Amino acid sequence: MRLFKVTHIDFMGKRMMWYSVSGLTLLLGLIGIFFKGMTLGIDFLGGTELLVRFEQPVQINEVRGAMDKIGFPRSEIKTFGNPKDILLRTPEQAQGSVIAERIRSGLSAQFPNNHFSVLKEDKIGPKIGAELRRNAIYAVAATLLIIMIYVGFRFKFIYGVAGVVALFHDVIATLGVVVLFDGLSPYLNLEMSQNLMAAFLTLIGFSINDTVIVFDRVRENIKIHRSESLFTIINKSVNETLSRTVITSGTVILVLIVLIIFGGEVNRGFAFTFLIGTVFGTYSSIYVASAIVLDYTIRRNIKAHQA
Amino acid sequence: MKQYRGKLILISAAIALALYFLYPTYQSYKINKHLDTLSGADSTGYIQTNEKDIREARAKRIKVGLDLQGGMRVVLEVNVLKMLQELAKNKDDQFSAIVAEIEKEAQLSDENVTVIFSRKFEEKQIRLSRYYGSLRETNDEIVKKLRDESDKAVDRAMEIIRNRVDQYGVSEPSIQKQGGRRVIVELPGVSKEDEVRQLLQGTALLEFKLMKDPDIIYKTMEAIDKYLLSQGFSDSTASPSASKDTTKATDALTTLTQSDTTKSILAGQKTPEQFAKEHPFFALVRPDQRGLGEGYASENDRARIDRILKRPDVQKLLPSDMEFYWGAKPSGMSEGVKFYQLYGLKKIPELTGGVIVDARATIDPNFNQPIVTMNMNSEGSREWARITGANVNKRMAIVLDNAVFSAPKINGKISGGRSQIEGMENIEEARLLEIVLKAGALPAPVDIIEQRSVGPSLGEDSIQAGINSFTYALIVTVLFMLVYYRTGGAVATVGLFFNVLFIFAVLAAFGGTLTLPGIAGIVLTIGMAVDANVLIFERIREEMTTGKTLRATIDAGYSKAFSAIIDSNLTTFFSGVVLFQFGTGPVQGFALTLMMGVTANLFTAITITRVVFNMMTERGTATINFG
Repeated sequence: MRLFKVTHIDFMGKRMMWYSVSGLTLLLGLIGIFFKGMTLGIDFLGGTELLVRFEQPVQINEVRGAMDKIGFPRSEIKTFGNPKDILLRTPEQAQGSVIAERIRSGLSAQFPNNHFSVLKEDKIGPKIGAELRRNAIYAVAATLLIIMIYVGFRFKFIYGVAGVVALFHDVIATLGVVVLFDGLSPYLNLEMSQNLMAAFLTLIGFSINDTVIVFDRVRENIKIHRSESLFTIINKSVNETLSRTVITSGTVILVLIVLIIFGGEVNRGFAFTFLIGTVFGTYSSIYVASAIVLDYTIRRNIKAHQA
Repeated sequence: MKQYRGKLILISAAIALALYFLYPTYQSYKINKHLDTLSGADSTGYIQTNEKDIREARAKRIKVGLDLQGGMRVVLEVNVLKMLQELAKNKDDQFSAIVAEIEKEAQLSDENVTVIFSRKFEEKQIRLSRYYGSLRETNDEIVKKLRDESDKAVDRAMEIIRNRVDQYGVSEPSIQKQGGRRVIVELPGVSKEDEVRQLLQGTALLEFKLMKDPDIIYKTMEAIDKYLLSQGFSDSTASPSASKDTTKATDALTTLTQSDTTKSILAGQKTPEQFAKEHPFFALVRPDQRGLGEGYASENDRARIDRILKRPDVQKLLPSDMEFYWGAKPSGMSEGVKFYQLYGLKKIPELTGGVIVDARATIDPNFNQPIVTMNMNSEGSREWARITGANVNKRMAIVLDNAVFSAPKINGKISGGRSQIEGMENIEEARLLEIVLKAGALPAPVDIIEQRSVGPSLGEDSIQAGINSFTYALIVTVLFMLVYYRTGGAVATVGLFFNVLFIFAVLAAFGGTLTLPGIAGIVLTIGMAVDANVLIFERIREEMTTGKTLRATIDAGYSKAFSAIIDSNLTTFFSGVVLFQFGTGPVQGFALTLMMGVTANLFTAITITRVVFNMMTERGTATINFG
C-alpha cells in the first residue's frame, strides 16, 4: 500500500505564505500563553493536593462549598478523568498532615451519605516547586543546545540553527494549543506537571527526526545533482521523503491515540501534548527548518555575488 | 550464511541474555499467581518452603514504581541551619538575631548555608569561637569543621532512617541520597502517614545498655521455652529453615548444658520435628554456642518471636530489669536466610549518647585492625569510668533507637573518656559504628520537603491502564506495518517483539523501576521503533525502481537509510538523558524506558531485521513484498 505516489509539490515556492502561517501560529500561541496563562500543577507550585474518589458522582460547586467552609477558598477543584474522582489542590502548607485531615473531615461533613477514599495525596514544599521550575527551563535549554550542536556538527552549522528554530516553533505552538485546550474538557488535564514537561522534552528530541530525514536527503542530493540550485534540491528532497516523514510521525500518532484512550488520566495530558507537537514537528521540518536553510543560503549567495 | 554468522551469534547471545535477566520477573509472577490460588495456612506454608526462591526472584525482578503499587515517597532535607543552631554553645540574643537573619537570606538564595553563616558572622565581626570549638581556633578552622559536620549529617540522617525503617519492617524499602543534603525514602505499601513521619523525623536515641549475665539470659529463654510447652504452644508453621538449624541448635544446647548445672534438655538424637515440639522457643531462637548469651533467629521468625515476647504472660517470666533487643544488622547468612541476634539487656541504660563528643573509625596502626575511638565530655567521662570499672568483663551494648549495633566486652576501667572499640570485621563496619555513635550526640535535623502517597486502588487502575495501552499500541502498530509493508512489515514485527523484549530485559538488568509514565515511554518507543524500519523500507521501495537485484536493493536500502536512523535515534536519546538528569521519580522512569527503547531500537532495526532479509534472499526468495 502507498499513501503517496511520486509527488512533485512546489513546497519551497510557497514558503513565504507558510512563514506567515507559522508566524501567526506563534503569535497566537504567545498571546494564549501570556493572556490565558498556563495552569501550573502541584509539582511546580507546591502545596497540598488530594485525589479523592466518591462512591456517587458529585457536583464541583458542592465540593467548592465544602472547601470554602473549612477555610481553603483559594483552592483549585476539578474532576479527574470522571465525575467521581475529584482533584483538590490548595497552596496552603503546614507541617504534618493537618491540611489533608481538615479537607478530609470537611468533605465528610459535606457529603455524609457519599463515602470517599483518598487515592493519592501529595505535599510539595515551596523549595521543590521553585527548583523544578528552574530545572524545567534548564532542561529545555540544554536539550535545544545539545541538538543544535549535534545537527550543526553532522550537517552544517546553519542546519543546526534552522533545526532548533523549528523546534522552538514546535514548542511554542504546542504550548499555545495546550493552553487553549486546558480546562475545556473534564477528561483532559493539561496543567503544567512533570509529565507535561517530559512530553515537551521528548517532543524536542523526536520532532527533530523529520527535520533530520529531510536534511539527510538534501545532503545526499547536493552531492548527486551538483548543477541544481538549492531551491530545486530542497523541493526534490522534501518530495522524495514526504511519505516517510508522514509515516514515521503517523506510527507515533497511532500509539499516542491509543495512549489518550487507554493510558489513564496521568498519561492522557502527556499523549495529547506529544500528539500536537508531532503534527507541528512534521510541518515545521518542511516549512520552517528547510525554508530557513534555503533563505539563509540564498541571502549569503547574493552577498557573495555583490562582494 | 557465512557473512552473517557473526550477527546470528550476536543476536542469539542478546536474546539469551535478555531471557536470563527476565526469568526472575517471570518466576516472581508465577509464584504470585500460585499464591493467589492458595489461602491461609497453605499460602504461608508455600512461602516458607520456597522462601529462598521467592526472595531471589523478588530481588531480581523488574521493580514497580510507587505510582503503580501504592506507597509513600518522602524527600527529606537536612536542615543545616537548625543543626548549626543545635551545635552552638553559650547561645545568646545576639546569636539568635544573626540566625534569624541567616534564615531569611537562606530562603532566597541557593548559596550553601555554612557560607552565608560564616559571612554574616564576619560582617558583624563576631568570632565564631564564641559559640563553637575552642577559643584558639580561627573562624576559618571552625567553618571548615562545621561544613564537615553538615556534610556528614546526611549520612547520619540516612543511617538513622535506614535503621528505623528496618525495624519498622517495610518490604523492599528504598533509601537513597540525592545530592549533598537530601534523602529520598520510598516505602511501598505504606499509607500510615503519621507513623512514617515519626519514623523519619524523631530524634535519634543512642543508649549504652549492659548485657545481662549469659547464664540469666539462657535461663530466661529456657523458662519461656518450658512455659510455652506447658501452654501447649503448637508450632505447626515453624519455618523449615529454622527446624533444619535446630540440629545445630541442639549441639549448642549440649555444649551449654554440659557446662551448666541445669539437667534435662539433652536433645542429642532427636529429629528437628520432635525437637520443635518439645522446645517451642528454642526451635525459634537458638542460643549462642560459645555461651555469650545472644540468641540467633532466622529473619523469617522475627515477627513470631516478637509476638511471643510481647505477650504479658511471657513478659512475667523475664527478670524485672531485663528486656530483649534485636541486632540492627543480620549477623550472618545461612542458606540464603539472614540470621539476627537477640540480646538480653538491662532495661535502664547506663548512659545515653548525649555525652559523646566525637567518634572516629580508623585502622589501628599496631595490629592493622579496624577500630572506632570514642571521646566523651568530662561529665560523661566520669560516669563512664565508674560504669566500666564496676563491670569489667561484662558486655556493653550500643543501642540506637532500640536496635543493637554492637556489644563489645569491657576489658577494663576506662578513665579519661577516651574509649576504643575493637573487633569489627572491616572498615565499613567501623564506619557504620562511627555514624551510630555520633547519631546520639550530633543532631541531624531533617525537614520533609516533599511527600507523595498513592493508594493501592489508584495503583491497580494505573497498572490496568498501562497493560491496556501497551497491548493496543502493539496491535495497532503491527496491523499498520503488515497492511502497509506486507512481508517487510512482518519482518519489522519480529524486530518489534525483540525490541520490547530487550527493553524489559535491560530494565531488569539495571534494576530500573517501571512507572506509569515509564509504560508510556515503552508505548511511545513501540511507535518509534518501527520508524527505523519505515525509513529502510521506503528507501528499499525507491531502490527497487532502479532495477537492482533483490539483494542489492536491500543492501542499498539499509546502508543509505543508516545515517538518518542514527541521527534521529541519537537526538531522542539525548533528550532522554537530559530528562533523566532533571526529572524526578516517575518521570525518570519514563526517561529510562525511552533511552532503553531507543538503544534497543537501533540494535533490532540494524541487525535483526537485516539478518532475516539476508536469510530470505539466501534461501532463493526472488521477491520480497514491501507493499
